[in-house]
Amino acid sequence: MSGGRRVAVVAGGLSNFGVRSATWSELVQEAGHSAFGAIRNFSPQDVDSLFVGAAQPERLAFQSHVAPMAAELLGFEPSKIIQRTELACASGQSAIRSAYAAISAGLSDVAAVLGVEKMNLPSMAEANTSMADVLDRSWDGVHGATAPPFFAMCAQRHMLEYGTTAEQMAMVSEKNHRFANSNPTAQFYSKTFSREKLLKLPMVAPPLRLGDCSSMTDGAAGLLLVSEELARKYTDTPVWVRGTGQHSHFHNLSGAGSLSSWPGLRAAAQEAFRSARMEPKDIDLAEVHDCFTISEILEYEEIGFCPKGKGGQFVADGRSDLGGEVVVNPRGGLLGCGHPLGATGVAQAVEVLQQLQATVPAARAVKGAERALVHNLSGSANVHSLMIYAREN
Amino acid sequence: MSTPSEANTATTTPGPAASGSTTRPSSEAQSADRPPRRTDPVPNPLPYLLDFYPQEDPKFTRIAPFFVALRKGSFTTTRCDEDGSLHWPPRVACPKCRGEKLSWVELPKRGTVYAFSAVLGGAPLGMEEDVPFVVGLIDLQGAELRLFSRIAHTKHEDCRIGMEVELETFDLPDGRVFFRFRPSAPR
Ligand SMILES: [Zn+2]
Repeated sequence: MSGGRRVAVVAGGLSNFGVRSATWSELVQEAGHSAFGAIRNFSPQDVDSLFVGAAQPERLAFQSHVAPMAAELLGFEPSKIIQRTELACASGQSAIRSAYAAISAGLSDVAAVLGVEKMNLPSMAEANTSMADVLDRSWDGVHGATAPPFFAMCAQRHMLEYGTTAEQMAMVSEKNHRFANSNPTAQFYSKTFSREKLLKLPMVAPPLRLGDCSSMTDGAAGLLLVSEELARKYTDTPVWVRGTGQHSHFHNLSGAGSLSSWPGLRAAAQEAFRSARMEPKDIDLAEVHDCFTISEILEYEEIGFCPKGKGGQFVADGRSDLGGEVVVNPRGGLLGCGHPLGATGVAQAVEVLQQLQATVPAARAVKGAERALVHNLSGSANVHSLMIYAREN
Repeated sequence: MSTPSEANTATTTPGPAASGSTTRPSSEAQSADRPPRRTDPVPNPLPYLLDFYPQEDPKFTRIAPFFVALRKGSFTTTRCDEDGSLHWPPRVACPKCRGEKLSWVELPKRGTVYAFSAVLGGAPLGMEEDVPFVVGLIDLQGAELRLFSRIAHTKHEDCRIGMEVELETFDLPDGRVFFRFRPSAPR
């Protein structure tokens, strides 16, 4: 690491994800119960800081100043740092990175993280409107730019330049949905999707079909991070933050470049591996941002799990599945779990915690996993955020 | 940055549609458990904070000349006087050098499609009527600029990478002006 204090993840939990009959506040309470309800030796007074990852509560729940609202709901009275983090689809990981930074710097000893989004509204057109203002709304959103057409263009160029196929993209979705069938918190826990079925679903933004796209989802997740000296007070099996990296590359789509390569992810991943003193081959499992199937394929390539242009072949060969060299999205991914923006990054970290503690069901367990990577992109893949965790300090 | 050569007076901010009518609680309407019903008009469903189109009046923006030019049929942006970098969208300070000495320059009105897709559902408010519609990234011909735009008057199945498109301008109901692209007419 880069000289600060070591930071441990000691507990985590989440609400069920899906189209939930629950409000923003109720989702926070559910995740709070799951994440902070049964921690050994834990008292709410221990929490000196709270970081709330929430992308658009103003738009989607008509509520701002949400960090103190969450603190009240969770029974915390933070005295060091309380804030919300917003980085669109990476708002949750942004909260974890902030908690990590605060503890590493000595500004906090016990930091709670809560990621949450309520996206299913009586007026879905209003929710769609809010998704379009993640992009440069006056110059890109105004023309109808939302995530599906943007990632569809990435798929179009990747297919043209590297020969990636619709069937390879469906294999990503099939794998992640199969993993979601072992995750009762997943939006599509009880739904099965074969490759054949996925390839017949309606187009959303050509060449992307419904099964290539993650969903509008309600959900929340919580995580507890502490300093090294407190880690074993709360658990016998802490998981350690070993490295992190982030890169912001552009915002207006005029800066998006080739679409078929994501140099910002390459840069962020290199920084994460450098700070963790690891390489891609050291990673046993990866929770990466499969907001669309093409995203996961590009992520294999830019993170360095496979050579550039070979991402489609990588999934087709089963190299990102159980038994492959890196198990990608065993939680079920955004495709299988749904994508409540602020909660996603935190839920990915909860999966990593449980995988490294060997407490997940066998159907998705990565046996003997020691090291894990989490990746979130945000917006039009213009920002990439990564964290690397390990069982060993 | 140069100042606008003429003030754009055609625009207005979206205002509430409400008349000045007052609310009168009517006693006969109030039964034992039910609160009084709202009697004043429901506000405009597309208020300012759901409106994607940029404000173009110089009262609200420093790039009003873009819209003045667009209304006259010119497609423009800013270029840095110091380092020559071409901006999109128009800026008031150069992202490369932070300098404020910028000039308005004409952009080509023709381009070729670099990538495209279509929105077949899930459109934002105000665009639901347009569905299905085509969008794409367009390389302007003769300029170092690739920008995102609606591609109107065409279907997804009729579009190709490399096809030529041209600028089209249009007026908004409230008097503002904006642009999009469409397949080029043969030259
Ligand atoms: Zn400059």
